[in-house]
Amino acid sequence: MFKAIVSAETLTSALDSVSVLVDECKIHLEEDGLEIRAVDPANVGMVDLSLDAAAFESYEADGGLIGVDLSRLEDIAGMADSGQLIQLELDEETRKLHIQIDGLEYTLALIDPDSIRQEPDIPDLDLPAEVVLEGSDVNRSVTAADMVSDHIALGVDDAAEYFYVDAEGDTDDVHLELTQEDLIDLQVGPAHSLFSLDYLKDMNKAIPADAEVTLALGEEFPVKIYFGFAEGQGQVTYMLAPRIQSD
Amino acid sequence: MRLDDYIEDLEPDEEAKRRRLAKEKSYAITDHLEEFEQRFDDALSGDTLVGSTSPSIFVGRSNYPDIPIGLLSPVGDEDAADEYVTDGAWYQQGYGIDDVLQRRTGLLNSSKRANVDSPSIASRLTPSVHDTWDGFVGVQREVAIADRPVDLEIGLDDTPDLGLDAGTDVATPRGPRANARNAELRENPSVPKPVKKTLEDDDWQAQGAMTYLYRRGFDVYDINSILSAGALGETDQRRLVPTRWSITAVDDTVGQFLRGRIRNERGIDEVQVWANEYMGNRYWIVLAPGSWEFELVEMKAPGSIWNPNPEDDIWLQSASEGYEGRSSYVEETAGAYYAARLAVLEHLESIGRQAKCLVLREVSDDYWAPVGVWQVRESVRNAFDGEYGEAETFHDAVSQVATQLPVGYQRLQRKSELAAGLQSSLDAFSQPP
Repeated sequence: MFKAIVSAETLTSALDSVSVLVDECKIHLEEDGLEIRAVDPANVGMVDLSLDAAAFESYEADGGLIGVDLSRLEDIAGMADSGQLIQLELDEETRKLHIQIDGLEYTLALIDPDSIRQEPDIPDLDLPAEVVLEGSDVNRSVTAADMVSDHIALGVDDAAEYFYVDAEGDTDDVHLELTQEDLIDLQVGPAHSLFSLDYLKDMNKAIPADAEVTLALGEEFPVKIYFGFAEGQGQVTYMLAPRIQSD
Repeated sequence: MRLDDYIEDLEPDEEAKRRRLAKEKSYAITDHLEEFEQRFDDALSGDTLVGSTSPSIFVGRSNYPDIPIGLLSPVGDEDAADEYVTDGAWYQQGYGIDDVLQRRTGLLNSSKRANVDSPSIASRLTPSVHDTWDGFVGVQREVAIADRPVDLEIGLDDTPDLGLDAGTDVATPRGPRANARNAELRENPSVPKPVKKTLEDDDWQAQGAMTYLYRRGFDVYDINSILSAGALGETDQRRLVPTRWSITAVDDTVGQFLRGRIRNERGIDEVQVWANEYMGNRYWIVLAPGSWEFELVEMKAPGSIWNPNPEDDIWLQSASEGYEGRSSYVEETAGAYYAARLAVLEHLESIGRQAKCLVLREVSDDYWAPVGVWQVRESVRNAFDGEYGEAETFHDAVSQVATQLPVGYQRLQRKSELAAGLQSSLDAFSQPP
């Protein structure tokens, strides 16, 4: 059983943060909210999302599992204005999702969850450095790096106590330093890893400019990017594997 | 073999000297053209080339969609027509730049303009070239799908424009040209069964038909010609395709097919370096364990064809893709990217493995005239014959190879996505429970 009413904005934010990595996903319809976990086919980027029942206008579910084509569902959600409400109801018999937006009814065929890539186990990483900054600073870093290169280095100088972003291109360089004062919080530790901008640009699209973003970093280790949306009632954790410079 | 021994064992390119001589003697081209003129006069009867034969076609792209389409014929050397076809045999026979230019100056391009999709008035309602087998376009299509040179007669409107158009990064150079009035078959062309099958199937997407032909043993050169003639794909989609575009389209399509075949295969076990040298182009291919990733980096020496000023710096270009391929067109390295990628994928598919792959192409000033992208394809294909050098890690291999390159390791790392860092996957960081 699944029946819920949610604002178009909240639903769209949730779907967008998953669709940057995968085309299809499984959605767990838990009693206390929705959960989505997915990894891209290359096993490089992972998303772990939860949207609490409190983020919905109304929410009833009893632990079902559905498989959806994300771009289809995004297209439908895109029919609503951001303030409008979207009503979702699962028909258990036909395995279809009934979607209503102000009189517009759409019946979405679901995908057999077994045919969707297996959900990833979330690696248990020991990441020594943690940086908390505004979404707009993440956006600034990624946008500037993209002008000169296809990859970006994120690191923490543990002696001088600042977080930095480096991008080296064929001819031009980008460098950004953010100290304790510029950041919301900084937990210093040895960290320097290189990441593909292709992935980071996509993840960046899903990060609201005013969100508080936590980056957990290590040396040639994946980065964990954590932020909230829907007034803190939705949480996204991305994990991105580094480009290895040493082997 | 250890990589340092492997590098030491590589023989200096003995062809290089001969090519340098050829370069100084490029007046030889003028001789080829004079020879052609003589043969041409002998072959002409009135304004018609009789007893001619055509092994291949050329489809231009100027003024698209009203493009020049041409029949290529070796005037006066009909018995050897097969040898005028650009394909892997040129590499096997050790053709130098001069040999290529000689072949191409001996090949007359008799051309006529046609629309890519509606060459006859009758087909205006359904603009597609699929049932056009009459007239000049029809003859040209017959030649393209035949598996051997086709005898024909070509009526010319004027005398040939002698000369040689330099090749490009993709297309082979072109020789003399004449405007054709008409062409007639003098025999029933021999068309292989699989080609008939793709021709007759009206509901088969071009990509699928191309890979079908590839799997049936047709090389990309044959498929390229068939695609150019608009002889595969869903019937209402069939168009004449400029040669340059179809070369890249076939390399890309077959490459995607092969990439799909190795997607779930194991990675290779060790870091390998393969090298080859041909026509003033040197190739280093570094393969490393892990999931598919590919990059081509080109280094063009000052004084070589695309970087003509001898005072200039080495010119670097690169393009790369990850496990799932590219979502955008390659801006740098163009056709060479798809040709090199195809060659590497063929090797990986033959051993049933995937790998991370960096191809380094060094173009020296010995490469004085571009001969077309077949040179890249065949050089990389043949690099996998023989031995390779082993290295401990990918970055060890690249830094060692960099000592042989005209640019240092650091500059390479700035330009090359793979040299900067190899994409790892998340499972490498998962702790066993």
